[in-house]
Amino acid sequence: MTRNQIHSIFLGAFVLVAALIATRPAAAQDPKQPYPTMAPVEQYLMDRDAEIALARSAAPDAISHDASVIVLTRHGYEIAVQGKNGWVCWVGRGWMAMFDHPEFWNPKIRAADCLNPAAARSVLPHAYKRTELLLAGHSKPEVIAAIKAAIEKKELPALEPGTVSYMMSKDSYLTDYGGHNGPHLMFYETAKDDAAWGANLTNSPVLSVNYWYISAQSYPQLKSFPPLSVFLVVVDKWSDGTPAPSM
Amino acid sequence: MTRNQIRITLLSGFALVAALIASRPVAAQDAKQPYPNRAPIEQYLMDRDAEIALARSAAPDSSSRDAEVLVLGRHGFETAVKGKNGFVCTVERSWTSAPDSDFWNPKVRVPEFLNAAAARSYLRRNLKRTDLILAGRTKAQVDEAIVAAVDKKELPAMEPGAMCYMMSKQGYGGDSVAPWPSHLMFYFSQTDPGTWGADLPGSPIFGMSDTREHLTEFVIAVQRWSDGTEAR
Repeated sequence: MTRNQIHSIFLGAFVLVAALIATRPAAAQDPKQPYPTMAPVEQYLMDRDAEIALARSAAPDAISHDASVIVLTRHGYEIAVQGKNGWVCWVGRGWMAMFDHPEFWNPKIRAADCLNPAAARSVLPHAYKRTELLLAGHSKPEVIAAIKAAIEKKELPALEPGTVSYMMSKDSYLTDYGGHNGPHLMFYETAKDDAAWGANLTNSPVLSVNYWYISAQSYPQLKSFPPLSVFLVVVDKWSDGTPAPSM
Repeated sequence: MTRNQIRITLLSGFALVAALIASRPVAAQDAKQPYPNRAPIEQYLMDRDAEIALARSAAPDSSSRDAEVLVLGRHGFETAVKGKNGFVCTVERSWTSAPDSDFWNPKVRVPEFLNAAAARSYLRRNLKRTDLILAGRTKAQVDEAIVAAVDKKELPAMEPGAMCYMMSKQGYGGDSVAPWPSHLMFYFSQTDPGTWGADLPGSPIFGMSDTREHLTEFVIAVQRWSDGTEAR
């Protein structure tokens, strides 16, 4: 598997550089806007039990067995299983990618994810807010403005230190490209650039992107958001312990 | 548990060979104390150019070529190459990076590539430890001095985002340590390793805390060596 294929895998994991996206051949429709608008909400929903199982598959059973699980409904995420260990497992949809991500509205995206307690407290509220607003029919600019206001009023929390999330499910669908999936860990940091962890350099095991945008050209107001980088490290096994393809 | 015990535990965890290590015959001298005393300083030193190259091999060239490089002198680490990106490459020796049975093993060479946050926090402990060791202090004296310096805040707490690359093919962790995989390390002031799901069955993260130094280290294996070749 080539490095570009790796990058394309993580398109759906909300991790990639704009230049690669721009040069990738697209499988459907306009290569820059394969999913220009939201699909009918039914296409984003799942059978509840299947969604719980997929969410839990993001991490080894030793973690996810006692985690809370949230599932998507027509109006947002709701708790399906109350956990005991502070972790929260869920299945992200395409709109948890950067606001200008070409697969933002891709209804096939199913990104199984287990967040540690610090990430559950400080990252997940952003997912709740974004999801509720989008499902209520608000436009991206409206959602961006609402999130900015919520951050400024401290209705959305600041990032806590020590956040990590496991994305090790075999059954995730992260992107239309490549093999669609790959096991990895993600770390959220207030770092302003990739350099803090030596990410995105040749042969570096660390990839990173801005949490909010790829280029911010379409939504310049995102540039005023608090710096938030997502660092990603590929691991060599799926959550069930079986070996993953070499990347 | 001391930092060196932590390191062997972490490294053993990778290969699941802790039991094997414990029962492994030791080739040299007393099986419990193969290296009871400090060797002559010359045995710990390296050719300067070779040490620079080894230090840089801790990370891909794209990162390490612009890093500061420290090399070991007779009195401690000194800057051999000034850097441009805030990262620092070193080759740690046994007294900071090997298990107790290899504490004075002069063959130990552990290349590390630390990001700026780790260079300002974690690395300072290793530099001080090395200074004290080379000044003739015993292991116990050094341990006490480091703990005291941490408690008095003469040595800083871990900075957020402190991490390092250990992706060299050429490292040697000691006679009692299985060859380690290419990996990353993350440093925190003392925290519960469970917050990252470390050490649970199936977890790709190993973690351990040194309560005396208020330090928690996490280790994650990666798929390739610094030169891009496959590591598994």
